[in-house]
Amino acid sequence: MRIILATLVVAALVAMSSLALAHTPLFACYDNGDDTVTCEGGFSDGSSAAGVAVHIFDADGNVLQDTALDEFSEITFDKPEGSYSVQFDAGEGHQIDVSGDDIVE
Amino acid sequence: MLRTLFATVLMLSVFAPAAMAHFQTIYTPEAAMESGGTLNLKMVFTHPFEAGHTMDMGTPQEFFMVHKGEKTDLMDKLEAITWTSLTNSGAAYTAEVKTRGMGDFVFCLVPEPYMEAEEDIYIQQITKVVVNNAGLPTDWNEPVGLPTEILPLDKPYAIWAGSTFRGIVLSNGEPVPFAEIEVEFMNHPPVEGENRFQEEALAEAPQDSFVTMGIMADANGQFCFGIPKAGWWGFAALGAGPQAEYEGKELSQDAVIWIQAHDM
Repeated sequence: MRIILATLVVAALVAMSSLALAHTPLFACYDNGDDTVTCEGGFSDGSSAAGVAVHIFDADGNVLQDTALDEFSEITFDKPEGSYSVQFDAGEGHQIDVSGDDIVE
Repeated sequence: MLRTLFATVLMLSVFAPAAMAHFQTIYTPEAAMESGGTLNLKMVFTHPFEAGHTMDMGTPQEFFMVHKGEKTDLMDKLEAITWTSLTNSGAAYTAEVKTRGMGDFVFCLVPEPYMEAEEDIYIQQITKVVVNNAGLPTDWNEPVGLPTEILPLDKPYAIWAGSTFRGIVLSNGEPVPFAEIEVEFMNHPPVEGENRFQEEALAEAPQDSFVTMGIMADANGQFCFGIPKAGWWGFAALGAGPQAEYEGKELSQDAVIWIQAHDM
């Protein structure tokens, strides 16, 4: 039991440290020119952002869509009407907001 | 007096070629980009420290980029231009290439071997430069699989002036022990929007050894060079490639990489 617990603690530490070592979150979006937008996430050490939550908000901060990055750390969605923003949400301190105004072709 | 002058001229003519090294460029003003966009790459075969004699390039054999492990052929992007150096003009190439998304874009040029008449040998400088978008590292530390290449051990687009750049010289993917490497600073960077070098020099060399610096890789083909100044630095591993002959003559198949340093 003690060994199992120790293993779990080590596993948890490894998991935590890999997240802590992941350093700066990176997120970029671009307009595909066909009314869709593609966003791409990652970390500055090159680690994957697959599965990281992505939220799309309207101008008033209402959630339009809650989604996540695919296995290639990417997501493509229909460009919302009017003002919008996209948030990469890898947890506290690891969030990046991109305004729709900055998402260009 | 005359004899001294003659001796000096003779010495200069003997030593002058050694003072200037050939470097194939793939130039873009900034290697560390905030986001994607259109790059205007300049491929010139020249002597970058002095921006002197520019050699005529033939039609390149290969020109491509690698992004997230995927190779994209760029041969149809090449456009022939005339490049003006400080002393002459020569045939060169430009290419407009769009990069999209985050990550590394490794540009590779395999030029047509150049006949260096003075030495009666061919020179082929297989050249690599890495441009990064938005800070996501993806491809910089993987060999491209060129016949010969310098594999960086430090991100070639993220170098502070005053720090170091390390690399391994590879031939057919294997390290080249004690490879001979020439290092040169791009002392007259291209003028933006024009096909020429700027006339003002950024640095002055106290003596010829500082124009082209000669270093050697260690027994494992690895080298380290301190980068004293912001700007573009070229590294050329001479004759590192596997091919030693071209059209019946000696071929120096060199591996070139360009790196960019920024001031802190």
